[in-house]
Amino acid sequence: MTERKTTHFGYQQVPVDEKAGRVADVFHSVAARYDVMNDLMSGGVHRLWKRFTIELSAARPGQSILDIAGGTGDLTARFSRIVGPTGKVVLADINESMLKVGRDRLLDRGIAGNVETVQADAQYLPFPDNTFDCITIAFGLRNVTDKDLALRSMLRVLKPGGRLLVLEFSKPQSKLLEKVYDQYSFRLLPFMGKLVADDADSYRYLAESIRMHPDQETLKSMMGEAGFVDCEFHNMTGGIVALHKGIKP
Amino acid sequence: MTDPTFRAGFDATLETAINSALRYDPGSRTRLAKLAGKVLGVTLTAPAMSLFLLIEEEEDGGYVEVHSRWQGEVTTELSGSALAFVQLLRNRDATPAKLGVTVRGSSALLAELQAILRDLDIDWEEPLAKLIGDSPAHQLGAGVRLAAGWLKDALGAAPKAGAEAVSEEWRMTPPEPQFEAFAEDVAAFVQGVDRLEARLQVLRSKFEGRDGADGGEK
Repeated sequence: MTERKTTHFGYQQVPVDEKAGRVADVFHSVAARYDVMNDLMSGGVHRLWKRFTIELSAARPGQSILDIAGGTGDLTARFSRIVGPTGKVVLADINESMLKVGRDRLLDRGIAGNVETVQADAQYLPFPDNTFDCITIAFGLRNVTDKDLALRSMLRVLKPGGRLLVLEFSKPQSKLLEKVYDQYSFRLLPFMGKLVADDADSYRYLAESIRMHPDQETLKSMMGEAGFVDCEFHNMTGGIVALHKGIKP
Repeated sequence: MTDPTFRAGFDATLETAINSALRYDPGSRTRLAKLAGKVLGVTLTAPAMSLFLLIEEEEDGGYVEVHSRWQGEVTTELSGSALAFVQLLRNRDATPAKLGVTVRGSSALLAELQAILRDLDIDWEEPLAKLIGDSPAHQLGAGVRLAAGWLKDALGAAPKAGAEAVSEEWRMTPPEPQFEAFAEDVAAFVQGVDRLEARLQVLRSKFEGRDGADGGEK
C-alpha cells in the first residue's frame, strides 16, 4: 500500500491534495472582513509594509505588474495609479471570494481600465513566458502548497530583468520580540478573530502557518534555487515581516 | 539600517499632512494640478535623508505622493541641510544659493511650489462643518476671525516685541539677521571646503600622474 504524501496546514499534517481546499475554506471564511481584521491585527502597520513593497518594486508608468494573492486589492490600487493608462495590473488570487471582494472594492474606488482580475493558482500561472515587469505576492506564499513550484512559475512569467517581491511574515530578530509576538499570535489573535469575524480557527491557522513558513535566509536561498539572482531581503518591524526581492536574469 | 517600517511611517505621515492641508485650499490644489507629473527630489545632508515628492492629479485637483526611493526622472533636485530648508520655507526672500542649497534641474518647479506654499490659505471652516454642521461652523469661524482681528489690533506689535525680548534682551536666541548671517556663513564655508577638496583632488591626481610617469622612466 502506498502512503499519501503530506504537507503542513498550520501545525497539522494533511495530504498534499487537501491543503489547497483547506486554505480556500479559511479565506472564504475571512474574505468579507479581511481588511478590517488586517488593520486590527497589525494596528494598521500592514499598510506601511505594503508601502515599502511599492517603493522597492520600482514600478513605472507603462509597466505590467502581477499582484499574486492580491486579495482585496491594496497593492493593485496603488500600482494601477503608478503604471497609468499605458500600463497594466493583473490582480490574481486562487480564492474566488477574495477576488470578488477585491474586484468590487477596486470598482468602488473608481479603479478600472488598466486592471484585470484573474483567478489563478500561483503554482501554475496562466500567462505566457516573459509577460510581467514586476510580480508581487503579499502574505500569500506561505499558503501555497509547493512554494518551489510557485517560485519557478513566477520566474517563467517575469520578463528578463523583472523583479519578484515576496512580502511575508517571517522570523522576529530578537528573542524578546519573539516571545511577545508568540503570546500575541496564539492568545490574542484567535480571540480577536472570534470577536470580530466569529472565526477563531481561521485566525489560529494564520498564526500557525506563519510559524511554518521558511525564515528569511531559507526563503532567500529558495529564490536563488528557483533561478532568481541578486536575491536580498529587508526585515521590517524587527523581522515580524520580511520583504524578499529577486531579479530574473 | 533603520527599520523600513519607520521610514514608511514617516513618508505616510508627511504625505497625509500635506494632502490634508491641500484638501482645504482648492485654489492651491488647482495650481498644483498644473504641475502633475513633476518630481521634486530633496536630499538632506544633515540629517542624511532623501525623499521624493511626486505631484499627481485627480478629478478635483493636485495631490502629493511622498516616496523614499524613486527610479524615474526627477524634475528638480535640491540638496542641503535641514536648517537651510527650514529657512527656505520660512523666508519669502530666501534663495537656495544664499542658503547653500544646491539646485539641479528646473528651478521653475521650485519657484512655483514656493509660491503655492506662500499663498496656502486653508479654509478651516470646511473640516469644522463636517463635524458640527455648516451654520455653527460658519458662526464659529466668523467668531474666531473677529477674535483674531481684535487680538491682532490689541496686541499690535506684541509678538514682535516678544521675539525681540527673547533674542535682544534675554539673549536666549540669536536675532534673526544674526541667525541668517550665520546660516549664510556656514553655507559659504561649506562651499569653500568643497572647492578646496576639489582642488586638492586635482593636485593629488596631477602628482600621482607625474610620479607614475617618473617611475616609468627609471
